[in-house]
Amino acid sequence: MRLSIPAVAAMLMLAATPSAFAHAYLTKSSPAAGAVVGASTSSMLLIFTEAVQPKFCTVTVTDSAGIPADTGAPQAVPGHGNELSVPVHFSRAGKYTVKWHALSVDTHKTHGTFSFSVNQ
Amino acid sequence: MDNPVWMVLRGLSRGLHLAGYFSAFGAALFGAVIMPVPGLRRLAWGGFAVAVLGGAAWFWLQTADFASARSPSAVLAALPLVAEYTRFGWLTLARLALLLLAVLCAQGRRWRLAAALAGLGVLGESWLGHGAAMTGMEGWFLFACSLAHIGAAAAWLGTLPALALGLCSGVSPMVLAQRYSRLGMLCVAAILVTAFLQYLLLIGRVSAFFNTGYGEAALLKLVLFAALLTLAARNRWRLTPALPASRAALLRAILWETALGVLVLLAAGVLMQLSPPVMAAMAGMAS
Ligand SMILES: [Cu+2]
Repeated sequence: MRLSIPAVAAMLMLAATPSAFAHAYLTKSSPAAGAVVGASTSSMLLIFTEAVQPKFCTVTVTDSAGIPADTGAPQAVPGHGNELSVPVHFSRAGKYTVKWHALSVDTHKTHGTFSFSVNQ
Repeated sequence: MDNPVWMVLRGLSRGLHLAGYFSAFGAALFGAVIMPVPGLRRLAWGGFAVAVLGGAAWFWLQTADFASARSPSAVLAALPLVAEYTRFGWLTLARLALLLLAVLCAQGRRWRLAAALAGLGVLGESWLGHGAAMTGMEGWFLFACSLAHIGAAAAWLGTLPALALGLCSGVSPMVLAQRYSRLGMLCVAAILVTAFLQYLLLIGRVSAFFNTGYGEAALLKLVLFAALLTLAARNRWRLTPALPASRAALLRAILWETALGVLVLLAAGVLMQLSPPVMAAMAGMAS
């Protein structure tokens, strides 16, 4: 016991930290940042480091002229508390920027942006 | 509502809520494991009132933040949404309901049941922490640390007002102090170990104590904790052996400890609104 607590602590310090995150940050998305997708894409998926509260998350999508694409409210993904699904409709091709605001279950808010392109 | 003044106010109201919660729990725990001294029931109700008051302020400010509300009517409209759709909302309400139940049990002198119910509510606070929100091993480890840390803090700081009450009553101060010091030592050990582990996981380097908000709040907690420990050590090794002659001095020291304890909890409330340095650094890397 005398050895194990410092040992566990040291192991955690060395091994655990690279994947540890506080607050909800975006780890992955579909479409991914920088991707090129078809205009028929009808939903986006955002994956975070922590479970989020969909009612208090917002996701907006605008084209390069600042005109918003049609988006629905972010939806929870059953069984995946750290994911948000967002219905979307693209009426024309171009580069789009996604702005997200997330509320984590830890009461902290985060936000960020990423972009992708839609072709015909 | 990203204004730091609001953030600090949220933290202070959270700390006040915790202080009330801890003292109501502490009154029940004192009745269960030390001695049901006169006045404990009133103390439990007083703690409950502070927990509700601080909790209501925290709920209001947190709702304003969640909903980015700029007017009281916008906050009012968002309150039911927060209560229904956020872990913070329903957990806070459930914890207050649990505390009410606990205080009612204390009123009926069911001290153990009261302590168990209030203790559950104390530990429930950990579910809003980073450990509970994170995925994987380190999340579980941090969650376990937080449970032990908050449980030990509540058992130690929360029972201080009850101990002061006991020293004012006709009960033998020697018996009280002896029974209490065992509980106190156990809690202090648990707090030290879990604080160190959380330092490793959330702060990670000494310089972060001085150049991050989170580190500064943690340092403030540490300094206040050191002052508390000094007082506690003096109580244990100087004043307790000199009882009953030192009773007035012991009572004074415990009231000072209680005041310092409230400050620790206010600092903890603010700390919990901030981003831990280790994690913040990694978030910077990720984005
Ligand atoms: Cu957080």
